[in-house]
Order: sequence, then C-alpha cells, then structure tokens
Amino acid sequence: MSRRIPVEPDHIISVRGITKNYPGGIQAIREITMDVHRREVVCVIGPSGSGKSTFLRCLNGLEQIDAGTIIVDGIPLDGNRRHRDEIRREVGMVFQSFNLFPHMTVRRNICLAQKRVRGKSDEEAFAVTHALLRRVGIEEKTDAFPSQLSGGQQQRVAIARALAMNPKVMLFDEATSALDPEMIGEVLAVMRDLALEGMTMVVVTHEMGFAREVADRIVFMDEGVIVEEGEADEFFDAPREERTKAFLSKIL
Amino acid sequence: MSRRHARDAGVAADALLDIGSLRRYTECNSAMPMAKRPHIRKFLSAVRARRRGLIEIGEFLLFAAIAAVVVAIGTNNLQYNWQWFRVPRYLFTTGPDGLRAGVLLQGLVVTIQISGLGLVLAAFFGLVTALFRLSRSFTANAVAQIYLEAVRNTPLLIQLFLIYFVVAPIVGLSPFWSAVLALSLFEGAYASEIMRGAIVSIPRHQWESCHSLGLTSTDTYRFVVLPQAIRRILPPLTGQAVSLVKDSALVSTIAIYDLTMAGSATVSNTFLTFEIWFTVAAIYLLLNGVLSLLSHLLERRFEVVT
Repeated sequence: MSRRIPVEPDHIISVRGITKNYPGGIQAIREITMDVHRREVVCVIGPSGSGKSTFLRCLNGLEQIDAGTIIVDGIPLDGNRRHRDEIRREVGMVFQSFNLFPHMTVRRNICLAQKRVRGKSDEEAFAVTHALLRRVGIEEKTDAFPSQLSGGQQQRVAIARALAMNPKVMLFDEATSALDPEMIGEVLAVMRDLALEGMTMVVVTHEMGFAREVADRIVFMDEGVIVEEGEADEFFDAPREERTKAFLSKIL
Repeated sequence: MSRRHARDAGVAADALLDIGSLRRYTECNSAMPMAKRPHIRKFLSAVRARRRGLIEIGEFLLFAAIAAVVVAIGTNNLQYNWQWFRVPRYLFTTGPDGLRAGVLLQGLVVTIQISGLGLVLAAFFGLVTALFRLSRSFTANAVAQIYLEAVRNTPLLIQLFLIYFVVAPIVGLSPFWSAVLALSLFEGAYASEIMRGAIVSIPRHQWESCHSLGLTSTDTYRFVVLPQAIRRILPPLTGQAVSLVKDSALVSTIAIYDLTMAGSATVSNTFLTFEIWFTVAAIYLLLNGVLSLLSHLLERRFEVVT
C-alpha cells in the first residue's frame, strides 16, 4: 500500500487544476478542478471536441496530464507507476467501442483480470463471472465470442468485465454512442441499476434523458474547461451560462 | 433487392411454382437477355471451363516438351550419360539389417535439425528484438537497432565465418551450434520486423482495455496482444522458415555434413552431377512444401472465431 494523501474523506476523486496538451500546442483540457464524492454519479456533457473524453481518460492515467494533480482514493496519480497501477485496479472503465478481447470467450474476457490482477482461483473467478453475467442479463452467452454478440451485449460484457474487478469508481466513456438505437436502452438500464446500487460513477454521455434521471451532478464542458456544473434538475431547467443555454437549446 | 432476398425469392419460386412460372418469374424480374439465363449461362460456362482446361493441359505439355528437348540437346552436346539407376543407393540402402538411410538422407536429417533448431531460436531472437524495439528503454532500443543493422547489411556467409572462426573457438561452440546460431541470428533479424509489424497492428484500444483493468504489460502481451498477433505473424514467418531451410545450404562451407554437403560429396565420388543435384533440389522442394502445408494448418488452428 502506498502512502495515502489526506484529502476530504468523502472525496474519492480529487482533481486540481489539470491541463493536458496535445502535440501541436492544442490544449485538450485547461485548468480543470473537480471532486467526485463517494457514491456520487457525475455526468459530463458537452459538444464533441470539448475535452470530456480526454478528461475522463486522465482519471485512470490513460492520458498523461501536463499540469495539476489527480488523487484517487487517496493515491496520487503522479509519475509513479506503482501508484498508477494501484489506481487502475480500483477504477473500472467502459469504452465507446467495447474493446473486448476478440480471441477470448465472454467468460475468459471477464476472468482474465480477476485471475491475473486479483489472483483469484478459477472457481472464484467463474462464480463472480456468472453472477455478473446474470446481473447484466446475458448469462447464456458465457461461451460465445465477442463477434457473435450484438453491440449492446458486447457493451454489457464490457461492463461486467470492469465490475469483476470490484472497482470503487466506474468511468463510462460514451458507452452508448457506438450502439444502434434499439440497443442503447439495455445498456443504459444496466448503468442505471449500477447507479441505484450506489456505485460511484463518472459518465461521459450524450444521453441527456439518462443524465437528468440518474446523475447527482451534471458537469458541462466546452473548449477544455468546465463551463458550468450543478444538480441535474437545476442544470437542465435553469442553466446560468450562455454557452450552456446555447448547447442545451441545440440538443433538447 | 439484396442478394440474400434474391436467393430466398429464388428458393421460394423453385418450391412453389412450376417451371413455366419460374421462367416467367426470371424473365420479368431479371431483365436478362436470353443467352444470359441461368441454365444457359451455366452450360456455356461449363463448356468454357472445359475448353480452358484443355488449353491449360496443352500449354503445359508444350512447355514440358520444350524443356525436355532443351535438356536432351544439352546432355547430348555434353555427351552426358544419364544413370538414374545409380541414385537410389545414395538415398537409402537395403542390407541384411533392413532399410538404411543413404548419405543424402543422412544429410537431410542434419539439414532438418539445423533448420528446426534455427527456426526456434530465430523466433526467439525475433520476438526479443521486436519487444526491445517497442520498449521505451534506450538501451534495449539501441541493442536491437545495432543487431538489426549489422545482420541485415552483411552477407550471411561472412556472419557464418565470423561465428565459426572467431566466436566459436572463444566460447567453445561446436560447428553444429555455430551453424544454428548464425542462421537463427540472421533469420531472427527479419522475423523481428515481421513480429513488430504484427504487434503494432493490434489496435491501441486493446492495450487501453488491459491498462484500465490493471493488467501488467507482460500479461497484456502474453494474454491479449501476442495471441492476436500470432495469426498475423504466421503466414509471413513461413516465408522466413523456407528461407532458413534454403540458407542452411551455406553451412556446408563450415564442414557440416548437411544435405548440400552430402550432395557435393556424392557428386565428387560418382560424377553423377545432374542426377544428384536434381535429386537434392527435389528434396529441398519437398521439405519446403511440407513446411508450407504445416503453416497452413497452424494458421487455421489460430483463427479467431468471427
């Protein structure tokens, strides 16, 4: 266990002034400061290119930040590889393009990290896998390969795979954007259940209905900065900033 | 209408309608000229295929005849006396203790041993070099780069001599292992480029999934990247294996009794120049044919279900 940094005990993620530059001097995100409370569901919305996915990917070190600090569950996400790996074990992530391992069955997809990272036995990992597949409603697909599943089913497997690590936080990077319309509902339903069970979630999404219903807090990003944040109903009913109003008027 | 629908419609028509209405169906739905109707087209293409087959056979026979004439004229001019009946005893002999391998087959065994061991080592050198080049370590990169440049820009024969005459005496390497080492270092350099290409062709998001699950780099390579890369590596690597078998002929220069050396020795003993070299070439051809077949089977084995 690495040395834990004292932060507000209620804050599982604490972000202070982070900046990320892309090569060519483009600033993807600028000076973002934000906290996520335990059991909180935060939805990050904004136009494409606003840096919301980049921000999310910074939270588990998939992108390296150029300035600022990120502390997850008391562990600083600095250059230290041990810290980074420790954080990644505690933070699950679901991607837009599912990213399942195409050469493994659903069961092996979900078991791999449990066995290699958590050191579980086959039996333990199988038990967890079956319970999770039942929970996301596709236990009959245990021995199928990803390419034999629909997009919605693949994404539910991806969620199960992340959950199998028993994470403290789940990050969703536009988890429904690559899905056909009729499959969005089944994935959102799983995410909604997860939120109701008290999972801490940071969700980058274009699904405003879902955001409004499930999120405790909405964060609106544009051009790499947080323009406005607030409690869901308040945010949608009475946005304060002009840019927020313009964005909402376009999509609602 | 998609092809699938068209096929379904065709099946339905076959099942439900009599031939007359089937024809009407085809006519009104396909707008094809008479000569292009399915059954006529089928017949015409069969005729064409048969004619094409006859032409192929004719071409082949013509080519074989010309080749035979050229060889015949050549041997006649050389006053060459074909003595194929003397060849089999160099492949195998029958004695009181049963069938025994002749010098050529004994040489073949050595060639197979050297190539087999060379292939395993080449795959190892190739993989290590590929991973070195992909690593972020400066030293690993430099070592890999120097190795690649040195091996690819000098003749294999010189590498073989360097290892046999310089390295082997220092570290006490037998001629056999000098040969295996030289060949595998040489082919490993080319194999590494193939492997590196296959590894970088695995999409970035596969890495990201693994990272986000907390898997180490070693585990990511072992369970996710390499199993997917192997399928892309195998076909071009077969080419390397074939090269390795052929290049192994060079080891005859450092007094190893491989197939080529056996052939050479037999020719000087018997003066059966044409017969023996044709036989040796045929054996190499056969060996590499088997190798290609094996790789084809392996490829199928690693196929990802789609």
